Amino acid sequence: MTNTWYLYVFFAAALVFAGLLGLLGKRNLIKLFIAIGVIGKGVSLLLLATGFAKANILTAQALVITYIVIEVSLVATALALIINIYRHTRSLDIRDLAKLKG
Amino acid sequence: MIILFVVLPLIVAGILPLVGKVSRRVLPDLLANATLLFLLVYAAVAGRALIAGGAVLQQSAWLGEAVNLRLALDGFSLLMLVAIALVGFAASLFSIDYMEHYGAKANYYALYLVMIAGMNGLVLATDLFSVYIFLEVAAVASYALVAFGLGHDELEAAFKYLMLSVAASAFIVAAIAVVFGMTGSLDFAAVAAALQELNAGPVLVVASAFFLMGFGLKAALVPFHAWLPDAHPSAPAPISAVLSGLLIKVSGVYAMTRIFLNVFGLTPALSTVLMWLGVISMVVAAFLALGQKDMKRMLAYSSISQVGYVVLGIGIGTPLGIAGGLFHLFNHALAKGLLFLTSGSVQQATGTRDLDEMGGLAKRMPVTAATNLIGALSIAGVPPLNGFWSKLLIIVALVQAGHPVFAVVAVLASVLTLWYYLLMQRKAFFGKLNEKWAAVKEAPFWMTAATVLLALLCLGIGILFSSTVTTWIQPAADVLADGIHAVTGSWGF
Amino acid sequence: MILQTALLIGLVIFSVLAIVLKDLLKSAISLAGASLLLGIIFFRMNAPYAGVFEISVVAGLITVLFILTIALTKSGDEVRESKLVNWVFPLVFVAFLVIDALVMKGLLGKVPALASGPEAGTFGEVLWRGRTLDLVGQIAVILAGVFAVLALFRKRDKHD
Repeated sequence: MTNTWYLYVFFAAALVFAGLLGLLGKRNLIKLFIAIGVIGKGVSLLLLATGFAKANILTAQALVITYIVIEVSLVATALALIINIYRHTRSLDIRDLAKLKG
Repeated sequence: MIILFVVLPLIVAGILPLVGKVSRRVLPDLLANATLLFLLVYAAVAGRALIAGGAVLQQSAWLGEAVNLRLALDGFSLLMLVAIALVGFAASLFSIDYMEHYGAKANYYALYLVMIAGMNGLVLATDLFSVYIFLEVAAVASYALVAFGLGHDELEAAFKYLMLSVAASAFIVAAIAVVFGMTGSLDFAAVAAALQELNAGPVLVVASAFFLMGFGLKAALVPFHAWLPDAHPSAPAPISAVLSGLLIKVSGVYAMTRIFLNVFGLTPALSTVLMWLGVISMVVAAFLALGQKDMKRMLAYSSISQVGYVVLGIGIGTPLGIAGGLFHLFNHALAKGLLFLTSGSVQQATGTRDLDEMGGLAKRMPVTAATNLIGALSIAGVPPLNGFWSKLLIIVALVQAGHPVFAVVAVLASVLTLWYYLLMQRKAFFGKLNEKWAAVKEAPFWMTAATVLLALLCLGIGILFSSTVTTWIQPAADVLADGIHAVTGSWGF
Repeated sequence: MILQTALLIGLVIFSVLAIVLKDLLKSAISLAGASLLLGIIFFRMNAPYAGVFEISVVAGLITVLFILTIALTKSGDEVRESKLVNWVFPLVFVAFLVIDALVMKGLLGKVPALASGPEAGTFGEVLWRGRTLDLVGQIAVILAGVFAVLALFRKRDKHD
C-alpha cells in the first residue's frame, strides 16, 4: 500500500474514534446522531482512500455513493425516531430513556 | 430466476401503499402472504432441483447487456432461503390478526417485505459489499418495525438497537475496506483466491476481528448482546419472531460463517475464538434467562443462548459440527419463531407479558398452550423433537473433535434451558387458572394457524430428522466444510 | 499533498467541533462544513462523483434533515452533558491520535497488497454494469427509509 494510504487511514481512524467517543459520552439524542454522521465520514474516507491507493477509484466511488445513500435512509429513520421520542418524553436526554434495562 | 427472491418482495412492497389506499386490510393481507407463500414454495420445491448439480450462478442480462447482477444459490444459501420463507410466512400469517389494532397494515407489510428482500439478498450475494448493503436494508426496515407501535418502550428499544447497529456497521465496512485494500477486489471468489496468494497474517487477523465485532453484534453474541433483550420484547410479536428467528441468524451468523469459512478459511485460531464465543453466549445467556419474569424477555435471552450453540457447532469446523450447527440454526428459527408467536397470542389475550400474573391459561387457550409446549421442548432439546437431534449432533461433534469439556458444558446448558422453559410453561399455562383470565378466548384463526404450522414442522422434522438432514442440511454443510474451494472452484464468474 | 493534509486536519477539527459544541444549530452547521471539506478532499483524489454526492447529499440533504429535527424538538439545548465527559474525552481523543500516528508509522509498508490492474471503463459503466446489485440494494434501502418514515409519522387513531 502506498504511503499516502496510511495518512488517510490515520485521519479516517481519528474520525471513527471521535464518533465512537461521542456515542459513548454524549447525552443529547441529536448529538448522538451527529456522532454517527462523523463515523460515516470516517468510513467513507477510508473506502475512498483505499480505492485511490489501489488505482480503483471508480469502484471506490460507486461504493461510497451507495454508502451515502444508505446513510441518508438511516438518518431519516433515526430522526423520525427522535422526533417521536420527543413527542413522548418532551426531552432529548438519553437518560430519560432508561426504562428498559438491557 | 433466483433474482425473484430479492426483486419480488421489493416490487410487492412498492405497490402496497397504493393497494393500501384501495383496501385497508384484505388486499394487503392477501398480497403479502401470497408473496411469501410463493417464495416458500419456490425455495422448497424448485430450490433443490436447482442446486442438484452444484451451485447455481446467475448473471443477469438487462435489456440485452450483461450486467453484474450476480447471485449464487448453493446449499447454504438455499437452507437460509427456506428458513426465511418458512418463518417469514408464518409470522406474516400471524400478522393478519395480530396487527389489526396497530393500524397501517399496508405500511407494515411493505416494511416487512423489504426486510425479507434484504435478508434474501444477503444470502444470495457473492460480493462483500453487497452483503453489507442488504444487511443495512434489512436493518433499516427492522428499526421501523421494532418501533411500529409508537409506544415509549418500543421507541426506546428501537433507538438503542439503531445506535449499536450503526457501530457494528462501521466495523464491518472498515473490515471490507481493509480486505479491498489487500486484494483489490470484493467478490468472494477473487478475494479468497487473492488471500491465498498473499501472506496476509496479522492484517487478516485485524480484519477478522472487525468482522467478528460487527457480525457478532448483529448475532447478539455475548459480549455484544446488550441490545437484544430490549429490542425483541418491545417489538410486535410477529416482528420479534422474525428478528429472533431470522434476522440475527441471517445478518449475524450467516454473514460471519460465509466470510470466515468460505472466503477467509477457518484457521485453528478462528475456530477456537468462535467456539469460546459460542460457549460463553450459551452459558451466560442461559443464566440470565432464568431470572426473567417477562415472557418475551426470557425468550430473548434464550435466543442469545441458542445462537451460542449454533456458533459453537460451526466453530468446531468438522463436517459433523458444521452440520449440527446449521441444523440447530434451522430448528431454532422455527422453534423460536413459534415461541414468540405464541407469546404474542398470550399477550393479546391477557394484555400482559408478566409470567407471574399468568396462570392456567391452558384451560382457556389449549392450542396455544400445546404449540408453546412443542416449541419449548424443541429448544430445550427433548426427543423426538427437532431441537434434540441438532443439539445431539453438536455434542457428538464436540466429543469427536476432542473437546469433552465443551460437550459437558453444552449438555448442562441444555438442562438449564429445559428448566427455565418448563418454568415458563408452568407459570403461564399450567396450574390453577387465575380468575383474571376466566374470560379469555383462544387466539384468532390466523394466529393459531401460524403457530400450528410451525409446531407441526418442529414435530415433523424431529421425527423425520434423518431425511431432513440429508436433504437440506447436508448440502449446506458440505459447502461450508469445503471451505475456500466451494467459492473459488465453482463460483468463478 | 500539503493542501490535502490541511484539508484533512480541517475535516477532523470541524467534526470534533460538531460533536462538542453546545448549540445544536452550530453543531449541524459544523458538520456541514466538515462534509464540504470532505467533498473537496474527494475531488482532489480524482473522485468527482463521490465529491459531488458528499457535498450535495451529506452537506446538503442530511444537514437539512438535522436542522428540521432541531427545529421540531425545541428544548434540545437544555440537555446538560456530563462534566466528566467534557474533560476526559478530549484527553482520550488526543491520546488516541498519538497511538494512531505511531501505529500508522509502524505499519508503513507492512500491509500486504496485491498489485491491482487498471480499471476498465468509465464511472458510469463501473456503477451501472459493474455494481448493478448495489443499485438494487440502493432502491431497497430507499424503500425501507421511505416506509420507515411513513410508518413512524402515521396518524394514530387508536393504538393500545
